[in-house]
Amino acid sequence: MVTPVIEEQTSRTTEEELAKQARRKELISRWFWRIMGYVVFLGLWEFASGRVLEENLLPGPIRVFQTLGDLWADGTVLPAFGATLTRLFIGFGLSFLVGTIVGVISQNRWWDGFFKDATIISLTAPGLIWVLITAVIFGNRIYGPLIAIILTTFGLVTINVYEGVRSLPKDLIDMGKAFHVPNAGIQRNVVLPHLAPFLFTGLRFGFSIAWKVTVLTEIFASSSGIGFQMRIAQTLFKQDEVLTWILLFFFFALFLEKVVLQAFERRYFRWRQAVEAA
Amino acid sequence: MADIKVEHLHKEFGLGDDKVVALEDVNLEISGHVFVSIVGPSGCGKSTLLNIMSQIETPTSGIVSITQDNREALRGYVFQAARLLPWRTVMDNLLFVQDDPGDAATQERCQRYLDMVQLGDKTEKFPGELSGGMQQRVGIARAFSVEPDVLFMDEPFSHLDAITARTLRAELHEMWKATGKTIVFVTHDVGEAVELSNRIVVFSKGGTLEDDITIDLPFPRDPADEKVAVNKAAVLKKFEELDLVAT
Repeated sequence: MVTPVIEEQTSRTTEEELAKQARRKELISRWFWRIMGYVVFLGLWEFASGRVLEENLLPGPIRVFQTLGDLWADGTVLPAFGATLTRLFIGFGLSFLVGTIVGVISQNRWWDGFFKDATIISLTAPGLIWVLITAVIFGNRIYGPLIAIILTTFGLVTINVYEGVRSLPKDLIDMGKAFHVPNAGIQRNVVLPHLAPFLFTGLRFGFSIAWKVTVLTEIFASSSGIGFQMRIAQTLFKQDEVLTWILLFFFFALFLEKVVLQAFERRYFRWRQAVEAA
Repeated sequence: MADIKVEHLHKEFGLGDDKVVALEDVNLEISGHVFVSIVGPSGCGKSTLLNIMSQIETPTSGIVSITQDNREALRGYVFQAARLLPWRTVMDNLLFVQDDPGDAATQERCQRYLDMVQLGDKTEKFPGELSGGMQQRVGIARAFSVEPDVLFMDEPFSHLDAITARTLRAELHEMWKATGKTIVFVTHDVGEAVELSNRIVVFSKGGTLEDDITIDLPFPRDPADEKVAVNKAAVLKKFEELDLVAT
């Protein structure tokens, strides 16, 4: 009588073991191809430097990494990043606030009419236009990048918040009311979790655009930050430095995507992953 | 025991030409440990009546008073769809509707009701990981977990397959007997109403209360039992007389 139970348990363990093995295999294979992508790209780049293009025009990755080490050692990197990130966080923070407020009040059709075209312009006009206009008006002052970031990105936040608020789950809110859950509890447990994916999408895409616009404003009108350093390097024909800043730019974007945003996603959207896995 | 009094209740939706009368001068009294079913065709205002009684909607005119020992009665609600928060675990869905979710006794009570609906081992699952029947069970446990004096149920089994619905009906009935609650149950299924209820209140299209039938049969009731079938036939005949049968 005992044997079938043991057999069943054994087969379940084997099944779990097999699934684990398959997942591990999938992970190894994914990382292999990812690393291969880097190896091939860096190899081609190193090969092209000095062979296809002159080394002065296209310094290879080895030299670029050496320059990165030099710039880090002489203390140029962190202040430049600090200046850029300060502009970025203030600018995008304000943009997120403006975008959220406009998204919420646009549920009213008069305000919707009032902001509709402005939102569309924000979504469609290239960031470069605002960068040029604000550079002319404000020169090196901080307002230039901030206003350029707000104008370029608030529309993206607005349409996401607008859609989120419009699709609020009335049935779940009514359920809360039927059980006499206080309004604060409904806001925290129903409204905010419903809005979270919309806010997250606005944050993710808005931030990536804000980042580019910040660097652009620094290239045109600034005396600090990554963009400014790139402009100086380009003026002095230091291609290795230009590429170093691009590399740093890439590292930072990767850090944001893979560490910050994914951690955020794991924390707040655990339920989706659980449901998908089920 | 809870006392429900509905007096001259009237509910309209819309204005002018779009005006629709959902309930027309409804008077109803429900008292004690009873299982009352409200039946009628689609659009007869039965869900509206339930929503007004549970304070989700307000009446156009009339009075609804639901008391227990001279105080406002506590109400629980089971919806047609389970209406669970997809981003909260099963246990957190129950805790969401509690006055003091951090209290150990509250958590124990929620666990007890989840055990009663046989989901005691699924507390950390998200609703999306459960079947439709299990989700509805969570909805039932949630409604019982606030220990209401009156429980309102709006066609809670209509989305489920016949076998699951039958199992849940039996479980619900056990819980009703064990807890002594007053249950007001909306359904369009006359068989379900006869199987579960002491009383059946019949509504017609236009929101008028047409009949109030007492079903005096012992529980549990087997749908195949002759007496149950006879009662079902009698209620259906009433439907025909009132011209409520869908054509």
